[in-house]
Amino acid sequence: MALRKSMLVARADLRMAMKVKMVKYGLVMMTAMAPIMLIGLVLLLALSAPAVVVTMITMLDPMMSPVIGIMVIVPASMISANALVGEKEQNTLEALLCTPLTNRELLIGKVLSSFIPTIALLLGSVLVTEIATNIILTSVGAEVILFPGVSSLFLLLVAGPILVAAVISVMVLISGRVKRVYEAYQSSGATVMIFLIPLVLPMMSMNNGGIVDMNLVWMSNIITLLIASVLAIVTWTLAIRRFNRDRIVSM
Amino acid sequence: MTESRKKSRGNGNHTGLSITGSVMHRCKCTRFSKLFLVMTSQRRIKKTWFRKVVKLDEVIIKDLTKRFGDLTAVDHLELNVPAGSIYGLLGPNGAGKSTTIRLLCTLLNPSEGTASVGGFDIIESPVRVREITGVMPEESNHTLYAAMSTYDNLEYFGKLYGVPEAEIPGRIEELLSFMGLWERRDDPAGELSTGNRQRLALCRALLHRPKVVLMDEPTSALDPIAAKKVRELIIGLAEKYKQTFFINSHNLAEVQRMCDRIAIIDKGRILLSGKTKELRAKLQATQNFTIRVNDDLERALDIARSMEFVTSAEEEVDSIRVTIEDPISNNSTLMRSLLSKGVEIIEFAEQEATLEDLYLDVIKGGVM
Repeated sequence: MALRKSMLVARADLRMAMKVKMVKYGLVMMTAMAPIMLIGLVLLLALSAPAVVVTMITMLDPMMSPVIGIMVIVPASMISANALVGEKEQNTLEALLCTPLTNRELLIGKVLSSFIPTIALLLGSVLVTEIATNIILTSVGAEVILFPGVSSLFLLLVAGPILVAAVISVMVLISGRVKRVYEAYQSSGATVMIFLIPLVLPMMSMNNGGIVDMNLVWMSNIITLLIASVLAIVTWTLAIRRFNRDRIVSM
Repeated sequence: MTESRKKSRGNGNHTGLSITGSVMHRCKCTRFSKLFLVMTSQRRIKKTWFRKVVKLDEVIIKDLTKRFGDLTAVDHLELNVPAGSIYGLLGPNGAGKSTTIRLLCTLLNPSEGTASVGGFDIIESPVRVREITGVMPEESNHTLYAAMSTYDNLEYFGKLYGVPEAEIPGRIEELLSFMGLWERRDDPAGELSTGNRQRLALCRALLHRPKVVLMDEPTSALDPIAAKKVRELIIGLAEKYKQTFFINSHNLAEVQRMCDRIAIIDKGRILLSGKTKELRAKLQATQNFTIRVNDDLERALDIARSMEFVTSAEEEVDSIRVTIEDPISNNSTLMRSLLSKGVEIIEFAEQEATLEDLYLDVIKGGVM
């Protein structure tokens, strides 16, 4: 029942957001940048050095694939920044707060309205990159590989969603404590920068000789996962505890 | 403590249970009544049928206070709204009307005191309060999802309020048809006129058939015909379903037509409350007259003011307005005095006592 009501809020928010063309196309364009960049890189390597393309891609994978996660987090933070303060600016918040939604149901709904499209775009980006990469590789006679590779897939599909949830939670928290949407957007910039740090950890795993230490990659992935989990738990707890209808309405 | 607050505290509601009218009197001072009061403490009585049978108050405000920093918007408010009544809260801007509604619908937390709505405490059971309450917020025509269609707005809120999904289409059609919006059901709410948006907001507040409807200026953006329709709807709902309406309004004429009880609030305090009929009856003890005279307004004013039974005399554009105690025996005395002192009277007209007179009296400090 609780999740059903949260899903109602999420669905309504999404429908409203998708009716704004700037949001819809901006979201897709922002997310499409990473796959375009990665596919372009694969194409460039395949055309310039077809014999070593697989080796090069495997080497670059831990550094390049996290870009997909980074590019997805930015729009996620933008949508969630709008969650409560956006409703307040449109004067729809009071009517929503007068419904029997509990704080938890409302916040879950607001988080889901950003989380669902973000994860859909993340999965779509990964899938498009994998398919396009292998089409290019097979066309130059190279073997079929996973790009993003297994370690990157772990980072993107396990740690990624948790990190996205953490970013969205903190943005919803901020959204309930600012007066204007632009204030929330300004805060989202700083928040994203902080939350991106775990995603760039795997980029540090290449040594001076250009050799990727896979042990280091996996270790950084595990650290990223742990950091993401802690951030998600802390930010969600904060979002729930600090949610105050009185404060939101009185501001 | 003001006179009105003393009165409200001393009206038999200090027991924590507020039973209106005859039930209270019948039960008073008997062992049975004491047992009854203990057994049926306000928190326990949540069954609608029981509340209606014994006419329990649907909204009970006890010592409710809300401060915003140094500003006290609502100051130790005490108010009881009987089930099935239409209660009007009147007051000037900044009197605390909207804050009271926001406290009752649990948007704001009280700084002190509490209130119960339909038997549920606003602090202890805010979700239950919201379930049984329909709210029409201030400027409610702006509170709709502009990009959603008229129908979708109602469907969304119907689901959020837990209306059974099978019943939602029927209820939406019934309400939209009544409000004359059925033909516009697929139009985005943002494309509706201000009045139509106000009607839609009213539909939204009534869709889940709430026990208590809290309305902040419900007809402010409506044309006279639509406003009349809404007033009739409110009166009809209160009679048919025993829904309780708590209405903030500046529109005194509207309150007079619609509300069976009123309270006048200023600076967060109730100055006067009671049944509309009784308050109007009190007004009959004095009577206002408009006296048009030929050129000699100031002289007429002086004569009127010199009379003991004239409680107030004011100059208007081409006449004087006097308030007379015991008008049946005194109006002729005033007329004779004016004529005997050479004042030529063109018109000596009686004014019907309205709530506006009462309201202005109370706000100016002349509490009856």
